[in-house]
Amino acid sequence: MKGGAKVVVEQHRHAGVFIARGKEDALVTRNMVPGESVYGEKRIAVEQEGGDKIEYRVWNPFRSKLAAAVLAGVDNIHIKPGAKVLYLGGASGTSVSHVSDVVGPEGSVYAVEFSHRSGRDLVNMAKKRPNVIPIIEDARHPQKYRMLVPMVDVVFADVAQPDQARIVGLNSQYFLKNGGNFVISIKASCIDSTAPPEAVFAREVKKLQEQQLKPKEQVTLEPYERDHAVVVGVYRPAKKKEQ
Amino acid sequence: MSSLRNAAKRKEHKERAQPAARLSRHGLLEKHKDYVLRAKDFHKKEATIKHLRQKAEERNPDEFYFAMEKARTRDGVHLAPTAEANKYSQEELRLMKTQDIGYLQLKAQTEAKKVERMQQSLHLIGAPAANKHVVFVDDEEEAEQFDPAQHFNTVPELLDRSYNRPRLEQLADARATSAGDAAAAAVARIEKKRAAAYRELMQRQQRQEKLGGLAQKMAYDKEVMGKGRKRKLRPEEAGGQTGVFRWKAERKK
Ligand SMILES: C[S@@+](CC[C@H](N)C(=O)[O-])C[C@H]1O[C@@H](n2cnc3c(N)ncnc32)[C@H](O)[C@@H]1O
Repeated sequence: MKGGAKVVVEQHRHAGVFIARGKEDALVTRNMVPGESVYGEKRIAVEQEGGDKIEYRVWNPFRSKLAAAVLAGVDNIHIKPGAKVLYLGGASGTSVSHVSDVVGPEGSVYAVEFSHRSGRDLVNMAKKRPNVIPIIEDARHPQKYRMLVPMVDVVFADVAQPDQARIVGLNSQYFLKNGGNFVISIKASCIDSTAPPEAVFAREVKKLQEQQLKPKEQVTLEPYERDHAVVVGVYRPAKKKEQ
Repeated sequence: MSSLRNAAKRKEHKERAQPAARLSRHGLLEKHKDYVLRAKDFHKKEATIKHLRQKAEERNPDEFYFAMEKARTRDGVHLAPTAEANKYSQEELRLMKTQDIGYLQLKAQTEAKKVERMQQSLHLIGAPAANKHVVFVDDEEEAEQFDPAQHFNTVPELLDRSYNRPRLEQLADARATSAGDAAAAAVARIEKKRAAAYRELMQRQQRQEKLGGLAQKMAYDKEVMGKGRKRKLRPEEAGGQTGVFRWKAERKK
């Protein structure tokens, strides 16, 4: 290669996530299906000392709330190699594919999406990725897919619905193990477009507490998204809630 | 054969630089190539003037031209046709404005597309944080004793680097933090290119905003020109803004 390495990849705080610095300045995940893009995203191949190549896919924080949260400095995403993740609101599977990269072949992603149109892309993506299990159902009725989903380590939700907290609570009751974690993305305008975003976030945090979901941290997503926050916490069904 | 020779690109022979001795005597002289251009232009103008002069001399004063039918004089002086004030009707002007707006919108959209393409791999990593991070604790005491470095399990120097704060274990493992000095050098080399890319991104964003704003303003002006009963609001009614109109609600059939 001319002029040495064109790009340098460093590990991120969160296992399975990397930062590529070169002409690009990008958050990336290691591509589980080398040679293929899922939604037309850029791929970056980096030569290792041994001569073999590792391929990464660019994870755009302007498109994915989870990527934005990672760059916003969230302490924990709990989504790591080997983890079992329940992903509510998978849409076309763009972010899901990156979560699939992060958890790797040992982990699995159960992606729930109720729109058939987006679901089709999700299913197609899952064909190439054995660790993604697409579920075309309404996340408001977890009993419908209880046979498909085992106990998971993390529930991630980006359904952009006013009753999102209830949806997450319900799914946690069914599938989240004790002491498991949740990561939820809140779009203020989806819940209440008149109240100031800060107030909306605070109300959502309250709602989560009522569902035995104990928030640990909250990050807003500027400059990638406006009036969005990601709340990360832990599920404590048994213990009495401390105030 | 010669035509073929002409088709192939030949080497362009450049005139040598002016020798230093003559440079000091005459100053910088014109190169032959530039002289040829200047001379050609001069002769073209010369020929045009000659041609016009000849036409004027040979002009037949009795010749008829159709334009004469409309031509007028005032006090014996010919009135040159000037642009008429109301050459275009209100409707025509509106149509033209629509086309202008369309063009601006198209340009704004093109910029927006380019911005998005660039943003795909320019993630503003290392830009000063613009967001808010809240950590929930159980009680007052815990809040008082909160130590960010300890909480994030990292070194205090990295607290500001929100895009990536490796944990202490990762920092101890040198492999994880960076690919070494060689990598650092490579990064420095590409740093310049990346800075240029970010500059371009910012310029495009600004241009897109300007174009979009202009298109919106023109669209508004067009609406004002259009039909519908409306009233100009006084600045105090329009929240301090001027040129704001309110339309009468009209029932659409
Ligand atoms: C904001 S998008 C998610 C985008 C995705 N997380 C990403 O970053 O690529 C929200 C998605 O949630 C889906 N959704 C909304 N309500 C749902 C529900 N009750 N059950 C399942 N999916 C739902 C919508 O169809 C939509 O595709």
